[in-house]
Parts: sequence; C-alpha cells; structure tokens
Amino acid sequence: MKSRKVATILVAPLLGALSLTACTGPGSDDEPATPVSIDQDWSEADPITVDVFDGLANYMGIQGGWFGEIVKEKFNMELNIIAPNVAGGGDTLYNTRVSGGDLGDLIVADKGQQMDELIAGGLLLDAQAYYGSMENVTPYDDAVAKLNEDKDGVYGFPTAVSSLKPTEPSEGLDPTFGPYLRWDLFAEVGYPEITTLEDLLPVLQEMQDAQPEGENGQKAYAISLFGDWDGNMMVTAKQPATLYGYDELGFVLARADGSDYQSIIDSDSEYVRALKFYFEANQMGLVDPESTTQNYDTMFSKYQNGQVLLSWWPWLGQSAFNTEERMAEGKGFELVPMQDQQIFSYGAEVYGGKQFLGIGSGAEDPARLAAFIDWLYSPEGVMANSSQTMGSAGPEGLTWELGDDGEPALTDFGRQVFLEGGADVPAEWGGGDYADGVSALNVSTVLPKDVNPEIGFPYSYTYWPSYQETVANPLTEDWSARMGGATTTVEFLEANDQVIVAPGSSYTAPADTSEVEANRNQAKASIIEHSWKMVFAKNEDEFDKLLTSMQETANGLGYETVLEFDMANAEAQNESREAVAAEFG
Amino acid sequence: MSLTQGTSTSTRAAAVVAPGELRADPDKRGRARESRRQVKSTKSSKTMFLLILPFLILVFLFSYLPLAGWVTSFYDYRPALGMSGSEFVGLQWFEMLVSSPTQLRQIGQVLTNTLAMSFLGFATSLLPVFFAMLLNEIRAPWFRNSVQTLTTLPNFISWVLVYMIAFSLFSTTGLVNSVLHDWGIITAPIKFLDTDQHVWLTMLLWSLWKGLGWGAILYLAAITAIDPALYESARIDGAGRFQIMRYITFPQLMPTYVVLLVLSIANMLNNGMEQFYVFQNAFNKEYIQVLDLYVYNIGITGNSLSMATAIGMLKSLISVLLLVAANAVAKRARGTSII
Repeated sequence: MKSRKVATILVAPLLGALSLTACTGPGSDDEPATPVSIDQDWSEADPITVDVFDGLANYMGIQGGWFGEIVKEKFNMELNIIAPNVAGGGDTLYNTRVSGGDLGDLIVADKGQQMDELIAGGLLLDAQAYYGSMENVTPYDDAVAKLNEDKDGVYGFPTAVSSLKPTEPSEGLDPTFGPYLRWDLFAEVGYPEITTLEDLLPVLQEMQDAQPEGENGQKAYAISLFGDWDGNMMVTAKQPATLYGYDELGFVLARADGSDYQSIIDSDSEYVRALKFYFEANQMGLVDPESTTQNYDTMFSKYQNGQVLLSWWPWLGQSAFNTEERMAEGKGFELVPMQDQQIFSYGAEVYGGKQFLGIGSGAEDPARLAAFIDWLYSPEGVMANSSQTMGSAGPEGLTWELGDDGEPALTDFGRQVFLEGGADVPAEWGGGDYADGVSALNVSTVLPKDVNPEIGFPYSYTYWPSYQETVANPLTEDWSARMGGATTTVEFLEANDQVIVAPGSSYTAPADTSEVEANRNQAKASIIEHSWKMVFAKNEDEFDKLLTSMQETANGLGYETVLEFDMANAEAQNESREAVAAEFG
Repeated sequence: MSLTQGTSTSTRAAAVVAPGELRADPDKRGRARESRRQVKSTKSSKTMFLLILPFLILVFLFSYLPLAGWVTSFYDYRPALGMSGSEFVGLQWFEMLVSSPTQLRQIGQVLTNTLAMSFLGFATSLLPVFFAMLLNEIRAPWFRNSVQTLTTLPNFISWVLVYMIAFSLFSTTGLVNSVLHDWGIITAPIKFLDTDQHVWLTMLLWSLWKGLGWGAILYLAAITAIDPALYESARIDGAGRFQIMRYITFPQLMPTYVVLLVLSIANMLNNGMEQFYVFQNAFNKEYIQVLDLYVYNIGITGNSLSMATAIGMLKSLISVLLLVAANAVAKRARGTSII
C-alpha cells in the first residue's frame, strides 16, 4: 500500500511531463514512403500497450479474455480500449484528445468529415509504406482505394467490406428493421391481419390485455421508448418509417430507391405519422410511462423481462428475449406480416461501412499495428474479431470446428456459449467468461455474411446449415408455418416483395459547413424536445399545437438551410447508389 | 498599511512647512528627510507589491487568461485542426444569434429562466435566517444537534445523487406514485419529473432542501456572537421569547444577511448548472435551461464550440451591464461609486 503511494508520487510528475509531450502535435511527414514489410514474428517483439480510440466500442479498458490472449500471443500487444460510448458526454472525449494532438495509436472513427479532419490535423498516419505487404487486405483493394480517394496516402482501412453484390441485403437472416411482436401473444389473440402501421394498435391493445405483466410481475406495456440515441430526430419515431423503405439522412427521410424524399417535420411525413402512432398508443395506455426518463439499458432489461411487446429491431427484441428456453415454449419476438410494408434493407457495402480503421500519427510501433489490422482481415482474424451481435463464430477449435464432411459446426462449448447463455473459457484459451473475452473493438472488417474462403461457408455461424438445423424450435416452426414455409425473415420478405434494398454505395455525406452544423444542432434539439412532448400530449389539440410549434421553431432556427443541404446529399447518395448498382449489380 | 502611513506622514510634513517658505526657499534638511522617507516608502511598497504578486498572478491565470479563449468565437473551431487550422469567420456566430427571431426568443427564455431562478433564490434567502433562529430556540441539545445534522447533510450530497433520490421517489413508478396508486388515490401516475409545470418552483424546492441547513450554519455562528447583555436586558425589560427573536436576534443578524445577499447578487447569473443538468429532459427543457446549461448544451452536447463561446460571452456582457446598473443605484443611494 505504502510503496504504491510512493510510486504514485514518483510517477505523477512523470505523467505530467508525458502529457506535455503528448501536446506537441503531429510530426512532419516529409519522409518518403519506402515500403516497410510487416511480415515478421511479432510475438517476439517487445511487449507494448496500444491505445485504441474506438467510436464503436462499448467497453473501456484493457482487452482481456480469450481475444486479448490471442492478440497477446500473436503480437505481444495489449489493447487499451478508449470508448467514447462508455465515457459519455458526446464528442467531448474525441475533442479533448484531438486537441491534445493524439487521438490514439489505433483509431476506429467515422469516415467522411471526421477522417478528413484527422488527416488535415495530422493525427492519422499514412500507412502507404506498410500497405504493400498487408496481404489480407489486398482482396479489398477497391474499397481501400475508394476510402482513400483524393488523399495522398493510405490513411484508413474500410470496415464491413463485402464481396457480395451491393443490391443484396447485407443482413442475413433478419433485416435491420421490422415490426417484431411477441409471437406467442400474437398467436394468442388469433394472428389478426395487419394491413398497415396503425392496425398494430388494436392488436397491441389485445396483446397487452392478454399479458398485462412481465415475467417479473411488473406491468408490461406494448411499447417502451428511450431517448439516449436521439440524434437528428427522436430515434424511436424514425423506425416505423423504415418499414416503408425510408432511412434518415440528416433531416431527410430518403426512400431506398430514390423515389421519395421527405422533410421530417412536414405534417404528412412518415416521421410525424410515427409520432401520431405513438401518441395514439399512449392515449390507449400502451406506452410505458417510464419511456421519458429511461435509457437504452433500462429498456433492454424490460425486454429481457418480457415487459415490452413490440420491437422495431430484431437485434433488440430477439436478442433480449428469445432465449433457448423461451423459444422452446414457443415464446419470442418474430416479424409480423404487415401487408403494406416494404422494409428498408442496407445493401452489402462493396466499399465498406461507415467507420474506418486507422493508425494514429503518434503510434509507437506503426508496423505492428499495420500487421494487427492486416490480421483483422484474415479469415482467422474475422472469425475471432467480428462482434458477437454480428454472429462472430470465435476461434476455431474453441467454439467451432470443421466436421468430417468439411462443414463447420459449433462445438459443445460453442453451443453452450451461443445457445445456452454462456460458459467459462478453458484455461489454455485465457479463462474467464466467454462473453467477457469477446473482442471489444466491436467492429467487423469483413461482412459476417461473406464467405470465409478457408471453409467455404460464411464467417457467421448463424448461416451454417448445421446451426440452422439445431436451432429449429416451436417458435420458429410456428412462425415458419404461418409464413408459407419461409425459414428466415429475409427469405419471407424477399419472396413477398416486402423488402427494398438500398444498394451499398458506401456514400458519405460531406461535412456540414459550420453554419449548417450550428443550425442543425439547434433545430434538432428543438425537434427532439417537441417530438417527445407530442407523443405524450394530452389530446389531439395539444398534439397539433405542438406540431405547429415544432415546425415554426425549427424553421426559425435555420431548419430550411439544413434541409436544403441534406436534400442535396440525399440526391447525391441516390446517384452513388444507382452507380454502384449499375457497376456491380 | 504602512504605505498609506508613509504618504500621510509626508503630506503632514509638507503641511508643517509654512507656505511662504515653501515658495521661496524650502528647508534643505526637510527636503533630504523627505526624500529619505520616499525611498523608504518605495521600498516598502515594493515589498507590499511582492506580497500581493502571487494573488495577482492567480487572478491573471484564472480570470484573465481564460478570456483568450474568447477568440474561439471568431473562428469555426474544430479541435482536430487546432485554432490555426480552423477557419476565421469573423462575427458569423454573433450574427447568427441575432439573425432569427426564434433564436432571440430562445435566448430570451434562457435569460428569463436564469433571472427567475436567481430571484427566487433571493426571495427565499431569508429562510435560512428564520431556520437558524428557530433552531437556536430549541432547548434540548440532542434534538437541536440531530436536526442540524440532518438538515446539513443534503448539502454534501451531489446533485447526481439528489436526482437519483428524486427519481426513485417521483418517477412514474417511484415510491410516491406507487403508494398513491396502491391506495387508490390515483389511477394514472402523476408526472413529477417529466412535466413543464412548476419547473421553477420544484427546482427552488430541491435547492432549498439541499441548502437550507447549510445556509443556516453561518447565521447560527452569527447568533453566538450576539452580545448576551442584549438578551439579558431584554429579558429584564420583560420581553418574551418571540419578542426577543423579533427585536434582538433578527436585527442583529441583518448585517450578516445583507453582506451575504450582496455577494449573491454578484453571482446572479452564476446559478450553476449541475442541478438543472441532471433534472433536464425534453419536457421541462424550455423552463429549466439556464444560461450555463444552455451554453453547455450547445457547446458540449451539440458540439458547436464556437457558437457556445459566443453565447458564453453574452454572460460577461450582461454581468457588466448589471454592474453598471448596480453602480448607478449605489451612486444615487450612497453618493459613492463602486468603481
């Protein structure tokens, strides 16, 4: 205890000195890019700890567990994950670190504005010298070139790249969005027909009456909302628009095929329709009154307890509630067929997703980081790294193995982990709970739906035939029987023309000008504030009054300027979608 | 002290010399003595200056140096590019603030909230005085001590925890709503936290709950300093307990109260943001956003750092205006100026 105190006293000034040196901005980058090979045995290199600034991570601290063990073994490197999502406070952490001149050694950030800014500020390293020997990235050269277009070097590596056609859904089994209801209750009220969004309300009412309480004995509500993801608009009110093929781009709701662009605050927009939907639901007593004050985590635990009956996302309702045990009883969230739906689906991104991977200009050992990034693109790396929610299969030999017939299948341990709620990892793999050891980077380099060239099957275990056979249960069987024998949601939607794919063009909107940005921030704050009030308005009169007030206030705060900017971007996005569909589709 | 003494002695010395002599041929000896004194006084003023230098440096570091940050408001500041890499935009942000009536209305609302909260604070600033007086009248020491401890404790609870208490008591599934519901008094939960009704009042009540006991401590100390002779003579004159409170304790506390009130007026615009930050939500935002919180919401939450700086400067502007106004009042009332 005492020695630690002494150490602290000794180290404190040192840290101060270090943080001062950290302020000395980026170095000059005059050195010519002579190729440097990354091909060496990094496990023998000096141990280092690298700071990973990861805009996607939901864990902060040193990566431990089995993934940490693999990285340690291969690269003798520890990952110190810095996660703005965990730190909170919006962009504060990012701003503080960039103004200090060092964002991190390894960087996962947004492409577009953020990437341009980081390059201009000299915070990203030009990895041109290493790129030549990064063999695992080579197959995705197109995407790398596209990402670094108009930049004098290789500053970033794309994420979620795919060799699938851009007109194919990037989602595999379930779309990103969809009207998911508690199927058991939907069955209980007699599988009523749903023609359009508003028809959900009476159905939800019946379902809530059929099951007024969750499994923990607390009151259940058909709908539960949360506010901590609100961005340009109230996030839960955008979701119904996706059922009709719209996705947001700033203040614009753009249809996947470019046939329609809506300003969100227009009285007849899908956004306002959704607000009205929630308003009516609230009048019927279907909305959880805690919605106004709870965050995503609180709401998620309500889903886990069966206190919520509707989910706009399969990865919310299903992942929270559909456990093995419940599905065996026929309980769980499944998509209901809404006759007029045409669900928005993100096409596979040939040029990669919204984020990029980069090496910080202050990195101690950039070659090793380049090697690490390269490994993340290797079949082994993809299997181990892709985030768990995306269906990462984990390392071969631990969670899965190739059967005698050459098909991959989950091992007993894998089944325990993925189907039975987790298990402890054997000591030789690093020990600890499997879920705690999953890669905290939370970023996929290659789309999990893509085929792993080494095994001939997709990276994600959820697509393996062996897996699909095992998971058949009363819930999916009942659903499938009602859906004309479809085995997956996407299959059903495709067969019934209820999905609309936005070709994956990897379009990134240009940076907001300062004026647009300031206007946007003020207008969106007002839009979100009004949206919430509208949902919980006392009566129709108040709802209408708030709608008018929202339109007036937003317009007064410069909404028009921003909308014009967003409209232009939405059209540009559509052009790039058409272009990519024509080229690869 | 000696600085003023030095000067006053030399003036006196000069005054001793007859005017005629001074005009014709001043006493040489007197002049020498005078210059010696001057040397002495410059020396001592140097020492004095050195003594206050650390404080001047601190004032400079913490009050003047940060003003350099105002330059942010003339740039389109992007942290990754640094100030030198960011674009100079001149008065763009200020123009934006005044260009739209909605914007002006919003700032107006924010200022109203700020001043309202401050004035509600002034209006209730006598409560700790009364509380201290009543506390002082409690005879049983154990009771007085426990009341004092219990009322002082909330001051040491952070606003975040206060909000947690508020949340568990007053959220739609909180204790109060549950109890009322179980007793059949209400059917739908009452929205205490997510409502735009009585925001100023509830905020005032929370800050009173937190600060009342703490505020009373100073007055309790002041009460012990009141001359016991006053009480004795009052009692001899036949004053009752309430009369003593009314005619002795209360007037004796007034000087302390006035000092504290004047100090708090200086802080009128600084009503802090922690309390309002933790209590804010989409429903009460219109009435809860005080100036500091507004700047925070625009700058940190909205990431418009330059614009937030421009709005932050507004605060200084208003403070200067308030100071000038207060000065004018003081000048008229007392005939002397603060500055």
